[in-house]
Amino acid sequence: MTPEPHLQRKNLWSGLGVTLFASWLLVWLIPRYGGSGISFGMHPQRLATLGAWVMFLCAAALAIISLIQLKKQRVPLIKAPSLTVVWHQAWPFLYVLFFISLVIFLPLTWLAPFIVGTLVVMLGERRWYIVLLTAAIPTAALYLLTVHLMRIGVV
Amino acid sequence: MPELSAITSAFGDALTLHSIGIIFGGVLLGYLVGVIPGLNRSVAIAIAIPLTFYMSAYAAIAFLIGLSKGTAAGSAVSAILLNTPGEPSSAATCLDGYPMAKSGQPRKALKIGLLASVIGDLLSTLLLIVVVIPFASIALKFGPYELAAILIFALVFIAGMAGGSFLKGMAAGGMGVILGTVGLDPETGAMRFTFGYAELMEGVPILPLVIGTLALSEMFVQLDEYRRTKGGNSVRLGNNPDDDLSFSEFKKTLPTIFKSTGVGAFVGALPGLGPSVGSFMSYGLAKRGAKDPDSFGKGNPNGIAAAEAADNAVIPASYIPLFGLGIPGSVSAALLVGAFMIHGIQVGPLMLRDHPQMLFTLFAGMVIASLVMLAIGWYGLRLFAKVTDVPQHIVIPVVIFLCLAGIQVQGYGTFGLLVVFGFAIFGYFLKKFDYSFVTFLVAFIVTPMLEMNLRQSVILSGGDIGILLQRPIALFFVIATGLMVLHLMWSSYRLYRQRRRLLSS
Repeated sequence: MTPEPHLQRKNLWSGLGVTLFASWLLVWLIPRYGGSGISFGMHPQRLATLGAWVMFLCAAALAIISLIQLKKQRVPLIKAPSLTVVWHQAWPFLYVLFFISLVIFLPLTWLAPFIVGTLVVMLGERRWYIVLLTAAIPTAALYLLTVHLMRIGVV
Repeated sequence: MPELSAITSAFGDALTLHSIGIIFGGVLLGYLVGVIPGLNRSVAIAIAIPLTFYMSAYAAIAFLIGLSKGTAAGSAVSAILLNTPGEPSSAATCLDGYPMAKSGQPRKALKIGLLASVIGDLLSTLLLIVVVIPFASIALKFGPYELAAILIFALVFIAGMAGGSFLKGMAAGGMGVILGTVGLDPETGAMRFTFGYAELMEGVPILPLVIGTLALSEMFVQLDEYRRTKGGNSVRLGNNPDDDLSFSEFKKTLPTIFKSTGVGAFVGALPGLGPSVGSFMSYGLAKRGAKDPDSFGKGNPNGIAAAEAADNAVIPASYIPLFGLGIPGSVSAALLVGAFMIHGIQVGPLMLRDHPQMLFTLFAGMVIASLVMLAIGWYGLRLFAKVTDVPQHIVIPVVIFLCLAGIQVQGYGTFGLLVVFGFAIFGYFLKKFDYSFVTFLVAFIVTPMLEMNLRQSVILSGGDIGILLQRPIALFFVIATGLMVLHLMWSSYRLYRQRRRLLSS
């Protein structure tokens, strides 16, 4: 528990999110996909249900406590982050997801220099030999490792 | 108790050229990773696990333990030269290390840090060896009631002690438990949360989970921070003849090193507290007990010695609950469990019965790793000082690539990459909203053991809770768990009141 409004706000919204997620687990996911069958001891769903209840109760308590504190301090419940901040947090995920989607069609050894090199350039490196070496060394290492694993019959 | 011949034979195995080479590789890699700011122990172990896949079980674990030890010692280098700790636990080292380096004594500061690290690590390793064998012998006599009660207690304890909010810790633990149940139910054979994917039948694959939540998510966090801070300049190692550590100067730090090792070992043995607590606690104690407390924070060698000895003592001590009870008390211990699982070994007291030779060889390997750490740190001082200059915009892309390559090399394919990505989002959420990662990971790791023991307890007792009255150890831990929950709630409330009073005044 913390009295700082921005942390309370964080607790409130993350608590609410986790509560909703745990409710979804309890109401829909665990009953459908948590396993079924006759058991002598514990039902296959029992432990997952217990875990979801722990999540639900703790997150709900966190959200309620934070809500009360925010109300007491008379500070707004919502303070949306700027789009720039959201974009700065989101682009690395999109970058990696883009390359993961390419890996479906192309081998990783082909994409490796682009994964590393593009990001190095995006982060501000302008010296071509640094970009080249940073992209080439991990790619060569992956290539050699893959060849070795293929030779010994692992991949 | 082990016989002398078993111990000498274990040292014989650990002293082979192959074994020393593996340990040397692990410590060296760990040192390099520790020196680079932004790369921490968990990231290093997570991305190194795929490398150990094709090693023997002993070699893999020895390599990872060497790596873990190396990162702890290496992180002091960037703390001292760059004022940026390679690990959060080295933040206390910055307080005196950086001022000392700035005042023209970087080599002396580094050597104090290294010697304190090695002594802390070595003594704590010896303590682990002395404590864990009798501990595991007792634990072997525990039945399912005791084990289930101890595991639940450990989870609650870790949730409360791992820092941040207890409620958030418990919620993260709940998620770990749910993910730990994925796969075939061992009793009924029912599929749980597999959604038709054969890859999930044996549970959530540990490697994508660990790489996603620890390494890849950490890189996303680092990218976010990189935007705000673009790194600083490190102090250069010159050729100043006064900048070397004399024996008399080192001798003065020895009492602090011994005391801090004790503190670090105690903190490490308690699950969930971690090296940051150990190093700051020792630093505080050293400062309070010093004749000149005002010199702390201005380059006092005892400040460096206290922080580093405790930081390094925590790691071997955190393996006491791991080898003694099978409970990983820290993220790195949990990652070791993952590595053991990959090699088909159940870590915990059963190792003493099923793989005693390997256990003793590992312990011998840990002692050797401490000595290798000294040699690498001592002779590689200049090299590591140079490594601190590697900029983050080079490190982050390479680590992101290594995360993806590690999964691909293991043959997980696109499914594995998507799982890694999913767990990276999850790990990012845990870090950004300050949910205890260690509780999540430990809960995930111990859930199969918890479920098995709970199930056996339910079957044996026929659902009668009164059986606990005949099992005093189990009853003790059940009551202790209840009291712990009440205590943690009450202490969070008190902390809240204190902070509120401070803010309003």
